[in-house]
Amino acid sequence: MSFFSLIVKNPFRNKTRTALAIVGIAIGIATIVALGIITDGLKASTEETLKAGGSDFIVVEANVSDMFFSKIDEKYVNEITKIDGVDQAAGVLMAMQSVEDNPYFVIIGIDAKNIQFSDMKITKGKVFSSGDAREIIIGKVASEKMNKTVGDTITLSGDKYTITGIFETGDLQQDGGAFMSLANVQKMESKEDKVTMIYVKIDKGADVEKVTAEVDKKYKSELTTVASLEDLASVDQGLSIIDTASWAISLLAIVIGGIGVINTMIMSVYERTREIGVLKAVGWKNRRILGMILGESIVLTLVAGIVGCVMGIVAIQALMLLGMGGFLKPVYNFDVFARGFAVALIVGLIGGFYPAYRASRLPPTEALRYE
Amino acid sequence: MNDNIIEIKNLEKGFENSKIMALNGIDLEIKKGEFVSIIGPSGSGKSTLLNMIGALDKPDKGSIMVAGNNLTQKKDLSNFRSQEIGFIFQLHNLIPNISVQENVEIPMYGTGRSGKEMRERALKLLDYVGLSEKIKRKPTELSGGERQRVAIARALANEPSIILADEPTGSLDSKTGKMILDRLSDLHSKENVTLIMVTHDMSIASLADRTIKVLDGKVQN
Repeated sequence: MSFFSLIVKNPFRNKTRTALAIVGIAIGIATIVALGIITDGLKASTEETLKAGGSDFIVVEANVSDMFFSKIDEKYVNEITKIDGVDQAAGVLMAMQSVEDNPYFVIIGIDAKNIQFSDMKITKGKVFSSGDAREIIIGKVASEKMNKTVGDTITLSGDKYTITGIFETGDLQQDGGAFMSLANVQKMESKEDKVTMIYVKIDKGADVEKVTAEVDKKYKSELTTVASLEDLASVDQGLSIIDTASWAISLLAIVIGGIGVINTMIMSVYERTREIGVLKAVGWKNRRILGMILGESIVLTLVAGIVGCVMGIVAIQALMLLGMGGFLKPVYNFDVFARGFAVALIVGLIGGFYPAYRASRLPPTEALRYE
Repeated sequence: MNDNIIEIKNLEKGFENSKIMALNGIDLEIKKGEFVSIIGPSGSGKSTLLNMIGALDKPDKGSIMVAGNNLTQKKDLSNFRSQEIGFIFQLHNLIPNISVQENVEIPMYGTGRSGKEMRERALKLLDYVGLSEKIKRKPTELSGGERQRVAIARALANEPSIILADEPTGSLDSKTGKMILDRLSDLHSKENVTLIMVTHDMSIASLADRTIKVLDGKVQN
């Protein structure tokens, strides 16, 4: 039997205690993994929105905490169109309404002539008319969830809108919502002459960085440009809040898991005091004993890492089944699982070190006398 | 030529800040290949003496040379214990969750032997103690006598020059105890191993070449 096999076998001597310790640590890892999957899903979804259609960058209100709360004057759409290097600009107003059993039904207001910015494919019917005709197009996911199709109506803020088309963008958030004319959304939200953001498409051959720098310079205190997810992070605090929460939970998992591992391993070392004395008597070096206990601790936490990752995926799948699937598309990135395992490893090292050190320093005669 | 394997001079060891003197000036010489029994009442210091010879504890005073090693000067004694000493305890102290064969392999970790060599050596020793049929069993599946035979095999794993047995038959019935003693005697006579055995029992002590009586931390003449 190799030393490694011994290390793998030892933690499972007391199966109940080990199982409880594993579950305790796994819950922390599962939270990290589940939050990571959600954050990555939101980032991917936001990135898809940013890269919508032919837009090269978007313009939002400066110093806003969340992009969704951005509110800028529609007059900037024309002004930005005139900036050197800008080909087209389109104002977009976003709103959220409770429709049937979906409390987060996203409605995007955009002029029909600018609909190509949304990179959508009309799978059924046609785009809504310009102006204030009470018409709407809904996403494929929304259509399936609400069981509505072309010709049916949707009630928004007390007004009935006729569905003229069904679209598909590939972005879950958009496909779970609807598009209608900018004027209608402005009226519905009482935000006349206001837009949430401006989609900007630059001239062929123009440099995005130069154009965004120009916009940023010209409207320094009022507007800001977002050309990438990194830019967004500095504007939109929503993602960074989730990121921070994820790291805080990681830290909490390390602390709580670490205490759990220390407790489990100290108990294990106590129970095996005589045995450790025998190992010293047969010539084991202190560092081999330290390595064995530390190894056992790492085995324990790595198993917890595997269990935690599986639990995290199961939790996400359960959320999807419970209705989150309409506006959240989970993204299973390797990084998320790597972070889960890194936390497990840190917990194993930190939690295992003290019991391992204690075991290695036990005087052999004292250990052999232990009852 | 000096054929002593153990030379102890004025050895002292106290506990609780020397309030209790377990060893109080021990002088002792043991020849290579000798079978020595150490007798004495409980608390006389015989187990402490055995622990000193096996480098499990350090003396407060005096000198102790074992197999050419000055134990009072050496800092890391793990190699010495691994190569020169084989311990047999009153309670077998086997690791319960691994097999009999794996228990015998335990002392061989870190000695440079390959996995195959460790396995072959363990099987040979288990055959020697009559347990070749039970190599895959867990210690909990064996009788007291069988467990002690596994402990003997474990003690022999690294071909030690000295076997230290601390009341090896203390927890066994007389029949099983005799079987263990026969095995130890056989080992001493055939392999020329120095055997030092602590016991309470005079009849067991009489099997040795020489009996040393320890009382109040001193060797009685």
